[in-house]
Amino acid sequence: MLDTIIKLLKEAKTDGWEVTDTVTEGWEFYFIRHELDQNRVRNVEHISVKVYKKFGEYLGSASGEIPVSASEEEAQKMIERLLFEAQLVENPVYSLNVPSGETAAEGELPDVRTIARDFIEVMNDLPETETEDINSFEIFATAERTRFINSNGIDVTSVYPSSMLEVVFNARKDRHEIELYRLYHSGTCDKAAMKKELSETLSYGKDKLSAVNTPNLGKCAVLFSTDASIQIYNYFIYKMNASIKYRKLSNWEIGTPIAEDVKGDRVTIRALKTLENSSCNQTYDSEGAPVRDLLILDQNVPAHFVGSRQFSQYLGIEDSFIPGNFAAEGGTKSAAELRKGTYLEIVEFSDFQVETMTGAIAGEIRLGYLHEGDQVTIVSGGSVSGTMTDYVKDMYLSKEQKQYNNMLVPAVTRLENVSITGAE
Amino acid sequence: MKAKFSEYLNEIAPAMKELIAVLKERYDYVSVLSSDSVGFTAAISQYAKSVSNSTITTERGNVVRVYKDGLYSEYAFNRFDASNISGLCEEIIHALDSQLDLLKETGVKVYETPVLPDEPIVVFEEMETGSMPENTSLEKLVEELTAVSNEVVNSSEAIAECIVRGSSTHINKMFLTANRDMRQSYVYTEGMAAPIAMRDGRNELSYTSVSGRKGPEILSGLRDKALEAAKTAEELLDAEAIEPGEYEIITTPEVSGLIAHEAFGHGVEMDMFVKDRALGKEYINKRVGSDLVTMHEGALCTEEVASYAFDDEGTLAGDTIEIQNGILKTGVCDALSALRLGGKPTGNGKRENFEHKVYTRMTNTVFDAGNNTLDEMIASVKSGYLLKGMKSGMEDPKHWGIQCIIERGYEIKDGKLTGKVVAPIVMTGYVPDLLGSITMAGTDKEVFGSGACGKGHKEWVKVSDGGPCLKAKARLG
Repeated sequence: MLDTIIKLLKEAKTDGWEVTDTVTEGWEFYFIRHELDQNRVRNVEHISVKVYKKFGEYLGSASGEIPVSASEEEAQKMIERLLFEAQLVENPVYSLNVPSGETAAEGELPDVRTIARDFIEVMNDLPETETEDINSFEIFATAERTRFINSNGIDVTSVYPSSMLEVVFNARKDRHEIELYRLYHSGTCDKAAMKKELSETLSYGKDKLSAVNTPNLGKCAVLFSTDASIQIYNYFIYKMNASIKYRKLSNWEIGTPIAEDVKGDRVTIRALKTLENSSCNQTYDSEGAPVRDLLILDQNVPAHFVGSRQFSQYLGIEDSFIPGNFAAEGGTKSAAELRKGTYLEIVEFSDFQVETMTGAIAGEIRLGYLHEGDQVTIVSGGSVSGTMTDYVKDMYLSKEQKQYNNMLVPAVTRLENVSITGAE
Repeated sequence: MKAKFSEYLNEIAPAMKELIAVLKERYDYVSVLSSDSVGFTAAISQYAKSVSNSTITTERGNVVRVYKDGLYSEYAFNRFDASNISGLCEEIIHALDSQLDLLKETGVKVYETPVLPDEPIVVFEEMETGSMPENTSLEKLVEELTAVSNEVVNSSEAIAECIVRGSSTHINKMFLTANRDMRQSYVYTEGMAAPIAMRDGRNELSYTSVSGRKGPEILSGLRDKALEAAKTAEELLDAEAIEPGEYEIITTPEVSGLIAHEAFGHGVEMDMFVKDRALGKEYINKRVGSDLVTMHEGALCTEEVASYAFDDEGTLAGDTIEIQNGILKTGVCDALSALRLGGKPTGNGKRENFEHKVYTRMTNTVFDAGNNTLDEMIASVKSGYLLKGMKSGMEDPKHWGIQCIIERGYEIKDGKLTGKVVAPIVMTGYVPDLLGSITMAGTDKEVFGSGACGKGHKEWVKVSDGGPCLKAKARLG
């Protein structure tokens, strides 16, 4: 079908086109406790097409998926429709990516059986006890081959694994039972790292059983030491996105610090071509541009906006790309030094969010540790709120880093004066 | 007009029946769900436009479910050659057997489940729609959405941007077993407008929407709502942070809907009962809310984006009363969970798409209306907030915690709105306390279907929710 679509696109009166062909093999296993609820196989191919048409001062485009089961006649009709619709879209002219000259070995398709087996073995080897154990889990082992082709001659293929593990943990005492939820993304299964992470979470479950309601703390320092911290760094990445900058939703400027009167650590973020066992280690981005390392934010000073070809060109950036991996540098103090004084370390939220446009943070506390000198109180309930525009002036990043799939971030991030609504 | 059923699905139906017949020689139960759903999305802003022939539910593909020795297995595929059914059967059997080999090697035991019943059912339903997405003039629609975006931005100097999006999907699904032939076709449409106000480096966004199991014609209703949302976005520029605490609250229908969805929608999805993940299992026929709380859930309880004729397991749609006058009566259930719990499925077995597993999922979740006017409710509040606009929510069925992020609150003192606006608001609490504190319910209810719902942090499906204005007490931060 792919060859037919490319033939039809070459024959159509377009001013450019892009095709992405993704072939996926997925093995999935769903467990209740440690018994198999269901097994599934995915064997699918998706071909998405984007058609460009110049008219006047504009370059319009329209996109859609052409089913692999479509007939040639059906595919032709869809392309004709996209071509018409492209002329409805009045976007300033920009150009598509051209071949970079870089070559990369395509590589072997990852073995989903091995990935799935590793996950099953990790789950069968956890330090479960009578009071802390696994409620249920789901394993998703996926191998993908993505081929990108455009009218400028790019024809590149990325082959990569993309896996996911969802785990629900239980802990119980007398008749009281609690649960913790985790969703992990990765390339393959790093058995040692996964076992360490899962074992640590099992221990949180025991603590949640003895949690008391979060007191009304007013303003308090909050420590983020789990995957919730990703949301904090996504705020910075969002502000450095070319599309966001072009739409004036980011007022950050190259060379100008993002905040004044900063008392704490300053943030440095890089896009990375690869990060070990990330599920986002594609050699090329979704528009065929080669992915590379790039400094984005340097000690709170914007260095490079980055993002799609269209919006990057609108900003005058010619060599941009859509990054897959990011690394936020550590700060000046160790995690142990950040864990001093009075602070609330929250290890489980219902759903911690940083609204990237406004910087507003919000999340219900499911499990936290309130440290007041030598006293530690395990707390649950209530919420955090505030805004990153304030916190960026007084935030502290540990020297140590921790990886969450495609994000390498400080292992501990401390925000000062966060509003805490108690549950008392 | 009727939404005409997919010609493609009609064409492949005989081959799919052949596939089922061949697989039945090896398995005790075989079903095939085939989808062929088409649609469009047009997105307009001041800085960029896009048109796509995709929505979150457009798809073409198939999933086979088989049963043997207590285990259900599935194979999802979209490359299909009707002339080589035996080859496809071999491929399916080989792939699933390879998985079973791995499970054997790793010592995995099966959670045994009885075989699904397969009484004969024939359904052919082409639902009414005002127009079809396939026949919509996107030229005209792009012009209209562009005009809305421009008008909103021109309505105030503070409004710098207005993102407007309209999408419509023609859903076609065919569910086949040895004894069932179920085919449905319907159209749903949703549109949103998000004006963005900017002043002195502060950005604020408001959001409004239209939705329905209707054709793209409903997108014309976006204009007035978008202009109203622009005023809200500007208002948010002056909003203050709320003083954390417990307050009397009045929730407008979109916030009531968010509570319905997060409080007891997820909490009574009965696949969570199977895993002992929901407290609701122990509270059937017990009080979980005040007498004013009656809540329906089901594809048939209203006509919105999640109103279908049958679910993704071939169970006919229903209308379940989950809570009646504050008493939890039952939950909603997919077919496999019903087998495991010894109950009956309620038509709530849904997939994100053909590639995904079925879970028990919400469809439309709605509180019943009451007898009070909004003015009466406001007049009854000594100190509290009128809560408007929903941003997001998160369920916690195991502990009945609730998290709702709400766009804004209008202060009420001594029965009157003071004009003070606070934003954003995080509402948290214990579900029975929140529902038990409801003392007034409005006469008019509204249902909203522009969002999508995840299970945990994945498996996104279309749902709607709503209700009347409700007066209650909650913790806000």
